Amino acid sequence: MPRITTPARPAALLAGAIAMAAPGAAQDFDTQPSIREMESRLEDQHVLFGVEIESDVTDDLLELGRLVAMGGAEAGGSGMACVSCHGAEGRGDGSGAFPRIAGQPGWYLYKQLTDYASGARPNRVMSGIAQRLTETEMEAVSAYYAAIDAPFRPVLGTVDAQTLQWGGQLGAAGSAELGIPACVNCHGPQGTGNPPSVPYLAGQYANYMTHQLQLWKDGTRDNDAMNVMSAIASKMTEEDMRAVSEYYARVRPPEREDLSGTARTTAAEGAAGGD
Amino acid sequence: MADRTLPRTDVVIVGGGWTGLTAAYELANAGQRCVVLERGGPRHDATHFAGPEEHDELKYALRYGHMMDVKRETLTFRHDRRQQALPMRRLGSFLPGSGLGGAGIHWNGQLWRPLPSDLRMRSHYTERYGADFIPDDIAIQDWGVTYDELQPHLDFFERICGTAGRAGNLDGEAHPGGNPFEGPRTSDYPNPPMQQPISNTLFGEAAERLGLNPFPMPSANVTRAYENPYGAQLHPCTYCGFCERFGCGYLAKADPIICVYDRIRDHENFEIRFGAQVLKVETSQDGRTATGVTYQGEDGLDYFQPADTVCLCAYALWNVHLMLVSGLGRPYDPQTRTGTVGRNYSYQTIAAVDAFFDDEIVTNPFMGAGALGVVVDDYNGDNFDHSDLGFLGGGYIACKQYHGRPISYQPVPEGTPPWGAQWKRAVRETYGHHGDLVVHGSSVSTPENYLDLDPTWTDAYGRPLLRMTFNFPENDRRMSDYVMNRAVEIAQEMEHVTSVASTNLAAVDSNYSIVPYQTTHNVGGAAIGTDPSTSVVNRYGQMWDHHNVFVFGACLFPQNLGYNPTGPLMGLAYWTLEHLKGDYLDNPRPLMDA
Repeated sequence: MPRITTPARPAALLAGAIAMAAPGAAQDFDTQPSIREMESRLEDQHVLFGVEIESDVTDDLLELGRLVAMGGAEAGGSGMACVSCHGAEGRGDGSGAFPRIAGQPGWYLYKQLTDYASGARPNRVMSGIAQRLTETEMEAVSAYYAAIDAPFRPVLGTVDAQTLQWGGQLGAAGSAELGIPACVNCHGPQGTGNPPSVPYLAGQYANYMTHQLQLWKDGTRDNDAMNVMSAIASKMTEEDMRAVSEYYARVRPPEREDLSGTARTTAAEGAAGGD
Repeated sequence: MADRTLPRTDVVIVGGGWTGLTAAYELANAGQRCVVLERGGPRHDATHFAGPEEHDELKYALRYGHMMDVKRETLTFRHDRRQQALPMRRLGSFLPGSGLGGAGIHWNGQLWRPLPSDLRMRSHYTERYGADFIPDDIAIQDWGVTYDELQPHLDFFERICGTAGRAGNLDGEAHPGGNPFEGPRTSDYPNPPMQQPISNTLFGEAAERLGLNPFPMPSANVTRAYENPYGAQLHPCTYCGFCERFGCGYLAKADPIICVYDRIRDHENFEIRFGAQVLKVETSQDGRTATGVTYQGEDGLDYFQPADTVCLCAYALWNVHLMLVSGLGRPYDPQTRTGTVGRNYSYQTIAAVDAFFDDEIVTNPFMGAGALGVVVDDYNGDNFDHSDLGFLGGGYIACKQYHGRPISYQPVPEGTPPWGAQWKRAVRETYGHHGDLVVHGSSVSTPENYLDLDPTWTDAYGRPLLRMTFNFPENDRRMSDYVMNRAVEIAQEMEHVTSVASTNLAAVDSNYSIVPYQTTHNVGGAAIGTDPSTSVVNRYGQMWDHHNVFVFGACLFPQNLGYNPTGPLMGLAYWTLEHLKGDYLDNPRPLMDA
C-alpha cells in the first residue's frame, strides 16, 4: 500500500494556514535551499498538488528528505546520494542525462521511486537506489525535491526554428494526420504538469525527454496508470520526439509568485466569505 | 430553383456524423462515388478537442459550443394537439450536434445492444401476456428485423469503437460478470472493462446482495491502445471526466472522426462539403424516386446535387423534417391516424437517484468517463414479470461517475435549500461523497406523440419548422416510478450511504419539460417495419415510397428502448448498408413488396 493518500477533504488544505510567499531570493546552485523557505511552498498546490503524505509534511520530514538526498539514511543510505546527479536543488547537471526533479509533483516523484524499486520502471542506476530506501525515506525525499523552487539552467545548443515550430505544434495541437494527441491534454497548457500524477515538461532537459519517449515507444518504460504514453510514443518518429523535447526544454512555467499569489487569494476568499 | 446544378454523383449523403460517414466509408469502398453534405464545419480530435481548452465547462457544456445553432434551425413544441406550439429558442432537453462527426463527438460512449425482445416488442408482449395486454393507445411495433439478423452488425460496430466491456452471453453460454439478459453474442468485447471507482463498486456489491446481476457498462471510452477494423488507432482513456458535451482530445473516446473519417477522407470516391445545408430532397416527376438534393452552400447559393441514391443521415429529428419539407412519404395525421412520416416519435424516461456517503468514502468525482458505470439490467425491457405492474417496458439502473465538473456537479441531500449559505455548505460537504444513480428507461410510442410541420413558424431558410407534439405516456411514468423505486432500494442497501434522494423527470402528474437536459435520444418519426401503413421504411431502411432513398439513425426506432440509441442505430446502419451494397446497387428496386 502506498502511504501517500489523497486527502479526505482537499479544501481543508487550501483553507489551512496561509503563509506569505517567501521572497524569491536568488539561489546559488551549490547552496541548499532552506527548510523554512521550502515549508512556505507547501501551501502551493503546485508542490504537493492536493496530495498529502500520511503524516503532515513537517520540517522534520523535509530535514529527513534532505538527509536522504545527501546520501544518508537508515539502511546506510541509498548507496548513492541524489545530489551527486540531481544536485541539491534538483536541477540535474545540465547534461540531460539526469532529469530536473525540482518542483515535480511529490506524488509523481514518489511513484517513480516505487516503480524503480519494483522494476515497473527499469533503470540500472535508479532501481538499486530506490530498493535501498525505506517507505518513509521515499516520501521524505519526494517531498523535499517537490518543495524546491530552483532556477532553470540555460538551455544548451541550438535548434532550427522549423523543428521548434513542429515541436510546439505537436505540443499544443498534436497531429490529426499522425493520430497523435496534443501534450497539453495532460501536461497542461504550458507544459507545467497536471498534479498529482502528470509531470511537468517545461524546462525539462531535451535529451532526457527524447530518451524517455524512446523508452515508452520500446515498451521498456510502461509505468503510467493507463498506458497512455506508449500509445502516443509509438506513433512518433525520432524527429517528432526530438522536436517536442527541444520545444518543451525551452518553455518556462509562469512565475511561481504569480501562481501561488492566485491560489492564496482564492483560499483567503474561500475562508473568509465561503458562506 | 437551385442557382446551379452540379455534376451527378452516385450517392449523396445528408450529414457527416456516425451514420453518414459510415455509409460513405462502406459505399465508397464498394465503388460508389459519395458526396457527404455536412451543415457544420471541419474539425479533428487532435487539433480541436485538446484539453485544457476543451475542458471549458462554460463554453461547451453550458453554452453548447459543439451543438447545433437554434437560430438557424429549431423546432416548435407543445404537449398536445390543443396547444399552440412555440419555437424552442434555446437548447435544453436534448442536444443535437453540428459539424464533422455530428453529435457523435460529444456523446458519452455508452454503447449498448438491444434485447432480442425489444426488436419484436408487440409480438413479444402479446405472446407472453396475451392479446389484450397492450392498451389501444400504445402504438408499439416490431422492428421487422431480428436480433439474430442485427447481431453481426452490432458486433462489428463494437469493434469499430474498441468497446470495453464484459460479455454475459457468448453463443448462448452464460458468462458470470456480464449482462445475463443480453442476446447471444458471437464475440466478447474487444477490450476489457473500465476500472470502476468506489461508488460504482459499492453499487455493484449492494445490487448483488439484493439478488440482482451487476456488470460494467459497455463503454466506447477505450481501455487500451487499440486498432479498429478500419485501421484507426485509439488510445487508452485517462478518465478525465469530460466526455458528454465535449470532444475527446486524447483520441480515447470512439467518435466518427477518428474511427471512420480519418480512414476514408483520402479515398478517391469520397468527398465531403462543409457548410452545406440540405434544404430539400428532390423527386422525379412520377414521385417514385429521388433525383438528388438541393443545398445551400457556404457562399449562400443554392446547389442541386443530382445523385442515383440518397442517404438521409442527419440527426433523427432533422431526417424527419427533411422528409416532411420534401414531400417524401405520407405525413402522419393524428386525427385519422393515417400516414407514417412523423408517426411514432418517442423519447427516453430519466429518473435520478442520489446516494450520499459518509466521510469514509471519498469518490473523487472529477476522475470519470462518459461510460464509467456499473449497471443492472434486471428491470429493463421484459427482463422482469410485467403481469401485474400496469405498464410495459423498463430501463437499466446504473451507478455512474462520468463527470465532476465544477458548475454542473453540485449534488446536495434532500431538504437542502436551493441557494444560500446552507446550499453552499452542502455542496462543499457532499461533492466528494456522492453516488450518481440513473434510471434510463424506455418510452412507448402513442398515436398522440408525433412530429409534423408547424403552420406558423419558419426557419432561416424559409421552411416550416418541425413541430413536436409530445408528453410522457402514462405507461412510461408508471414504469419510470417503478424502476426508480428499485434503484432507491439498491441505493439504500449500499454500504456507507447516509441518505438517498430521488427525482423522476417523467413523474406521474407532471408534464414533460423541454428545458432541463434529459437525453439526446429523440427517436422515431420514420419507423422501420414490414407494413407500409405503419412504417416509413421497409426492414432494410429503404423508403417504401421512394426506393432510392435510404434512411439511417434513431428516427427508425418504432419506439424507444431502455438503452442509449447509438449501438442499436449503428447496427441498423450496417444492416442497411449490407443490403444496399449487396442487393440494391446492381439492381435498384424496392427490396420489399409494399
